[in-house]
Parts: sequence; C-alpha cells; structure tokens
Amino acid sequence: MELFAQFLANGLVSGTFYALSALGLTLVFGLMRLVNFAHGDLYMVGGLLGWAATSQLGLGFFSALALVVLMLAAAGWLVDRFCISRLRDQGEEPGILFTIGLSIFLANTALLVVGSTPHQVPAPVPNEPLLLGPVVVTKARLFAVAVCAAAITLAHLMIQKTRLGKAMRATFQDPLAARLAGINTERIYASTFALGAALAGTAGMLLGSIYVAQATIGGLVSLKAFVVVILGGMGSFAGAILGGLLLGVAESLWGGYVSTGTVDIIGFLLVILILLVRPYGLFSRRAERA
Amino acid sequence: MKCIEGRALLAFVAAGALFAVAVGDEYLLHLCVLVMVYTILATSLNLIVGYVGEFPLGHVAFFGIGAYAAALLSVKAGWPVWATLPAAASLAALAGFGIGAITLRLQGPFFVIVTLAFAEVLRLIAGNWVSFTNGPMGIAGIPHPAFVDLGGFISGKRGFALIGLALAAVSLFAAYRFVYSNAGRAAVTIRENRYVAQSVGIQPWRYALFAFVIAASTAGLAGAFYAHYLSFVGPEVFGFSFTASMIIMVLLGGKGTLTGPVIGAVAVTVLEEYLRETKELRLTLFGLAVMGVVLFAPTGVVGALHRRLARLAR
Repeated sequence: MELFAQFLANGLVSGTFYALSALGLTLVFGLMRLVNFAHGDLYMVGGLLGWAATSQLGLGFFSALALVVLMLAAAGWLVDRFCISRLRDQGEEPGILFTIGLSIFLANTALLVVGSTPHQVPAPVPNEPLLLGPVVVTKARLFAVAVCAAAITLAHLMIQKTRLGKAMRATFQDPLAARLAGINTERIYASTFALGAALAGTAGMLLGSIYVAQATIGGLVSLKAFVVVILGGMGSFAGAILGGLLLGVAESLWGGYVSTGTVDIIGFLLVILILLVRPYGLFSRRAERA
Repeated sequence: MKCIEGRALLAFVAAGALFAVAVGDEYLLHLCVLVMVYTILATSLNLIVGYVGEFPLGHVAFFGIGAYAAALLSVKAGWPVWATLPAAASLAALAGFGIGAITLRLQGPFFVIVTLAFAEVLRLIAGNWVSFTNGPMGIAGIPHPAFVDLGGFISGKRGFALIGLALAAVSLFAAYRFVYSNAGRAAVTIRENRYVAQSVGIQPWRYALFAFVIAASTAGLAGAFYAHYLSFVGPEVFGFSFTASMIIMVLLGGKGTLTGPVIGAVAVTVLEEYLRETKELRLTLFGLAVMGVVLFAPTGVVGALHRRLARLAR
C-alpha cells in the first residue's frame, strides 16, 4: 500500500509535468487547428536556451526563464507571421508538413550548435528528499510542480480574463464572426502560436532542471504531448491537465507493477483504446461540420 | 490523363531497367535500389494521402511488419525469398485491414495521431520482445535470393536493383489499376466531399479501407525487399525517419497523381545523397527544404507542371 502511494505520488508529479508540456500543443491545436509537430523541438530549444542562460551566462533561474519565454514567444510570433499565415485555410496537411520540416530543422541545428550531450539546467532549490507522510518527493520536484501549477494558472487566467484571451476564444468559435466584430484574427493567431511556443519553452527549461535538456529529445516530447492531448481531447484546457495526470499515473503504475522497459507503450495503448470508445477524446464534445 | 500517367510510369520502369543493366558502378546501383524502395513506399502512402484524403503518420508500420515478417520467416522458418515476399505482403495487408478498420473510423488529426500511435507501439514491441524479435539487437543474416550470390551478370547489387524494379513495377501497376477503377473513383469522391459521397451510396469507411489494405500490402512488400537487401532488420524500420521521407516525397512530387510520388522518390533520394557532402548540415538543410516546398510549391512538382501546361494550352 505504501508502495502504491509512492507510485501514485510519482505519477502525479510527472503527470503535472506532462500537463505543462502538452498545454502549448493543445492551445495551438484548439485555437488554430494546427497540429504542431515542432512542439517538442520548441520544448528542447527552451531547455537548451535555459541551460545556456543559467550556466553559461550566469543568470538566475527566474530571469533566465523570463528570457526564454520572451525569446520563444518572439520566435513563435515571427514563424506564424511569416510562414504559418501563408498556410491558413488550406486544411491540415500543409501545417503538418511545415511543422515536421521545422522540427527537423530545429533538432539538427541544435545538434550542430551544442552537440548531443545532455545538459542540466541548475535547479534553484536543492535536490533533497522530503518526507510527506508515507511518500518521498525531492524538493526540486516539488518546486517544479509549483512552477508548473503557477504557469498553468497564469495561462488559464490569460485566456479567461484578459481581452486578448477573449479575442482568442472568439476566434476559436468562429473566425469570420470574430473578424466582423473587429478582431484582427491574424494578430490573434500569431499571439496564440507565440503563447504555445512560450509554454513549450517554459516546460523545456523547467523540466531541464529535473530531467535533462538535450538536442535529440524533441520527438519523444512531441509524442508524449500528443498522447496527453488526445487523452484529454484536442483543444481542451482542462482535458490537457487531466490527460497529463492520467498518463503520468498510468505510466508510473505500469512501470511499478508490470515492467519498466515498456513504460512508453502504455500511453499509446491508452490512446488507441480511448479513441475506440470516445473518438474525440475523453473530455471533448463531438463537433462535426459539413 | 490516364494515358499520360500510364505511359509516364512505363517510361520510368523502362528507364530503371536500362539504368540497372547499363550502369556497373556499385554505388549507383545501390542508389537505384533505394529509389525503388522509396518509389514503392511513396506510391503506397499516396494511395491514402492522395486518393482517400487522410493523412496516416504511421504508414511505416506496414513497412516494418513486412521487414520483420520476411526476416523471421527466412531466418527462423527457413523460407526462400520467393515465398517470404508474398507472405510479408499478405501479413502487412492483414495488419492493414486490422489497423485500418479501427483507425479509418476517425478523421483529421485524430486519424493522424492514432496511426502514429500504432507505429510507435509496434516499434516498442519490436525493441522489447527480445525472445521473438531479438529486441534492439535486431535480426541479422537474412539470406539473399540465391541468384544474387551466383556471380553472373545479374548478381550482386544489379540483381537487387532488378528485383526492386520488378516489385516497383508490380506496386505501380496495382496503384494504377486501383486509381482507375470504380473503387479509386469512389475514393476520390470521398476525398473531395464525404457527404456527397455518402449521399450517392458510397460508404467512406469501406472504400477507404480497401485503399488502406492495398497500400499496406505494397508497403509490406517494400519492407520485405529492404530486409533481404540489407540482410538485417532492427526496430529502426519502424522509425519516424522513413515516415518523414515518404511524406516529403509524396508532397514534393505531388499527391493525388501517380507520377508525383515517383518523381518525389527519385528527387529526394538523389537530394539526400547530394547533401551528404555537407555532412552535419545535411538534415538542417533538408528541414529548410521541406519548409520551403510547403510555403512556395504547395502542389508539388507535378502540380506546378500542370499549371505551366494549362497556361501554355491557353
């Protein structure tokens, strides 16, 4: 039973990390109908930039995080304005192909610049174990969970409470009506992609202090994020969080009780099973348009 | 259109045969073998992307199933090559039926990702089920077809190039017959407008599944051929890099045409080899090239040619 509690706690911790890593993907998909295959590589760029800013330039953790967020948001804005804007209203394929190209480009450029060695972002709190009743969590992980929760809450407030967020939701519901109401939808799309990139970068840097930041990590992160987003329902904010926790707990229990070598398989099996029963994800309503 | 495409494909097969017979250089023949493998794969993917209009991101699953089927049947059961190739194609078709029956109920991004999930599950199984697939070490010592090792004119790489050409011809013929059949036209109707297709009595799921099974079996054939050529398979045959190459070839050449994927396969294989000179920069440039094509030539080479021809005709 104590072992179970420990597995559950581990699962919830990594589930929170998964939720944050998938948030940018689900936002970009939900608001722009763009399946972003470069999401994991933006995460990777965030991690490597965070590593460069902290251990090479000597910035503090939070100022480095702010720098990463700004740089990725700017990059996301530019990519959307100059490239993705040309592909809008052409269906999904051009977007998928473009982001696959972007992903190949980012991963290999990073490989050229920093090589394939894993780097660690120094965590601002020591990596000491902390006893919470029957379970053990390290302080660094607890800190990362807190930052994750803060980032998720901030993103949520931004979408629900600000003017920009309201415009984003309006554009999501009906782009034409949003334009008629005087919303500059092109600006909204660019901001959404910038927000998605910034969230990916935040996740990359934060988790670079728990796991590693490495040039080749993007593909795996993208796959996991897709699993989370499908589990929760594409475009659903709460779904991404629940999907992340579900994946984290499932992986942790599978690794604990079945086998550690095949942990990655459980997410894909869950996706296949869930799509068989609920073809649009666990928490999303069926939306079909002619 | 039918006439032109058929002749273009015949010309490609003839040119391939001439190339394989006339060229003696081992490296060029190796490129010829790769072009043939990718021609089959791109043609196979194009049946789904170009004619059914869905986007499978896990098409490599069937390539891998074919490769592993050929490897296991020839190494563990001792089957000869002429038996493993059709067996691998049939197994891949069977898998295509199973996976297609599940995934084709979904559309759009859900289809994209659930097909990817199947390919990843297979890759993980191939890498972890050590007693059956030998895990990450892969299966080595897959026999060549007997005549390739005899040492006559059609031995070695030239023999493989000719087998590859024959298999490519079979796949192209299958694709050609499908596209210009009633089933092919039904698939195009589904691609153009699902609701109209249903209203005239076409069941989208059934026709899409038919195309999916044909595509799966030809991809399996390519996998089996690849396994015999390299005489080794590992879990990498389920890797995303094959999928990415296939997608780039189909979209660069022009989806929804039979000649497009062939042009794409030749162009991308040659481009990749050409960029090999730039070593580390290769994949970076490749990524840029993909983005450039999507932004500036969205209908591919064949689409651009069509437009040019239409302008000339006016």
